[in-house]
Amino acid sequence: MKELEKTKRISIAAVLTILIILIGLLSYKRPKHIYALNTKSTLENMTGADYLITLEQINNPDLMLVDIRNQYDYDKGHLENAVNIYAPEILNDVHSEIFKELKENNKTIILYGNNPHQVIVPYMLLFQLGYTNTKILTISVSYDQNKMITQNAKLENTDADINAFIEESIKKAAAKPKPIIKSIPKKVIPIVKKKKIPVEGGC
Amino acid sequence: MSKSYQFKRFLTRRYQILAAILFLLAAGLLLLPKYEKHEGISPEELLSNSISPERYITTDVLADRIINQDPSYLLIDIRPEEEFKEYTLPNAINIPLKKIMDEESIPYLNQTQYDVVLFSNDHFYADQAWIMCNRLGYKNMHVLKGGLNNWFHTIINPAKPGEDMPATAFELYSTRKAASMFFGVAYPEEVKQIVVKKVIPKKVITIKKKKKMPVEGGC
Repeated sequence: MKELEKTKRISIAAVLTILIILIGLLSYKRPKHIYALNTKSTLENMTGADYLITLEQINNPDLMLVDIRNQYDYDKGHLENAVNIYAPEILNDVHSEIFKELKENNKTIILYGNNPHQVIVPYMLLFQLGYTNTKILTISVSYDQNKMITQNAKLENTDADINAFIEESIKKAAAKPKPIIKSIPKKVIPIVKKKKIPVEGGC
Repeated sequence: MSKSYQFKRFLTRRYQILAAILFLLAAGLLLLPKYEKHEGISPEELLSNSISPERYITTDVLADRIINQDPSYLLIDIRPEEEFKEYTLPNAINIPLKKIMDEESIPYLNQTQYDVVLFSNDHFYADQAWIMCNRLGYKNMHVLKGGLNNWFHTIINPAKPGEDMPATAFELYSTRKAASMFFGVAYPEEVKQIVVKKVIPKKVITIKKKKKMPVEGGC
């Protein structure tokens, strides 16, 4: 009988463990968004710069323009045939379905915002989630009398040589005081000839 | 006797069966789909982190930190090595974007002691690096807003405010100008003052020798 009790206990424990595992498996939820690329392969793709596209290249039927700005900016003016998907809402169910459909139809997703910097986060998120058919439109958007003006924007080029600027400023600073010094003696130059005052009789 | 023996045998078998099921489940755990590529924080979390205003640091704040010699800041220049050699911020470390996931660069990025500030010419590449690091869960990552170009336009070569600008613009200009002088820019009008200052101590040094006055004869 003792042995029987022992086996009973063991079997109860075993059944419980199995139940726990089963419950765990059944309640396991697959995360909605899963990265398709790890950071290393993403980085490799990022350093080759073929994910940028300019204004001239967008006249293509296989492209889908996506405006990642907010509703207000989109209503104010947007590119032709562009869809509005606000960047913070890019992972919503409705939007992920749109992206999935675009990928299945082999369409290229072109993201744009007020400037290319705005687009980098939504772009990299989509790319890491496996939407490798995504590209960034490098434009800067400005408004003139409520009309949207788009220009090709340049990325990561240096505006100025800072070292040269500092050196030049030092040169300028060193050179400028000299004329001031020169001008001072000039003022001194006017010759005032003191007439010799005839010596008056002293005391 | 034979009945109880059979019952016992059945019980021991049941135990074995249970063990077998446990083994099977354990094996099943091994076969669960692996999310190898799913490293780092979830995409939703990454997106919400990216909206946080803490992501960017302005050039004015950074200049202030450098001048006050704040030791908690670690500047990382992610431009290529040639550009780093030409000009960089004081005490910056060069980790080109390509090498940002290398093993040697991880100790600089994955730590909690310093506030890491990533910068490039503008903040496009720096943002890319920020996203990667943030995905891997690195703490205290920031991006210099506008990068070195903005650094040049605001700190090194600040624009003079027009006469119709508010007083705050003039205050900002004077602090920026002072900051630019700290980073080596010289202004002609400031140089003059320095020259004057140099003259003053010289005057102090002079030892006044009293000349022996010739004994004057009274008139």
